[in-house]
Amino acid sequence: MHLLNTLALIFIAIGLFFMVVGAVGLIRLPDFYTRAHASGKCDTLGEGMMLIGFILYEGMTLIAVKLVLLVIFIFITSPTAVHSLVNVAHSRNIAPWKKGDERR
Amino acid sequence: MSLKGNGSPVARRIALFGILMIFWYTLSGFLDPFHLGAGVLCCAIVTLISGDLIFRSKRSLFESARIFIRFVLYIPQLLLEILYANIDVAYRILHPAMPIDPGLITIETGFTGDVLRTAFANSMTLTPGTVTVDVSGGTFTVHALVLETSQKELLETRDIQNHLGKIFDEAT
Repeated sequence: MHLLNTLALIFIAIGLFFMVVGAVGLIRLPDFYTRAHASGKCDTLGEGMMLIGFILYEGMTLIAVKLVLLVIFIFITSPTAVHSLVNVAHSRNIAPWKKGDERR
Repeated sequence: MSLKGNGSPVARRIALFGILMIFWYTLSGFLDPFHLGAGVLCCAIVTLISGDLIFRSKRSLFESARIFIRFVLYIPQLLLEILYANIDVAYRILHPAMPIDPGLITIETGFTGDVLRTAFANSMTLTPGTVTVDVSGGTFTVHALVLETSQKELLETRDIQNHLGKIFDEAT
């Protein structure tokens, strides 16, 4: 039980790290498209890692099954949501930032 | 009874109702008459309204099951690649000079199936430093965080594309 809790903590810590990196990227990166990278990738993995940590902490219960479903749904819906955001920006002809441009 | 797209609509609806009931029970966790009755009512309404939205594939049930198993076997590798991609993005975000060189890439594929195109677009959003911007037919437009490495991965090695094409039995 002790080992499982430690493992859960490690997963939650890694997840937290990626969530923080996603937030930092949202501020540091120069334009809309590059920010979508930070929120799309880092948040998906961060949430997934944290939920896996919760599953390990919870053990074999119905709540763990629900958490597994959550992980699956996040891995399907999160990239789809990011794609639809970026797709709208692209169809409105927002030019992507290039190396050497000014930050916006 | 088959679950083919042109199979009996009643069979498809019964299968959908069964899946929804299992899902309902997993989420509620109660087996008493009140909760089960509410579940039957809700699932029946959903089945009546959107019964024709699910199981639209032209493939047979056996074929779909094989594709599903192959896809599940591919998931661990995908997760590992997602982890690598995330570490790379994290490194670039936290690096003081932010070594990024973004740009758009266009990828031509022969993919036609809806599920396959969704899987490919979502895998590209999650893995090699790219976000899928636009999909029209088999042409995918992606925005890459680092143009050079993404071009190498998506246009030269084409790992994800070949893998998913093999899993779904479609020409890349």
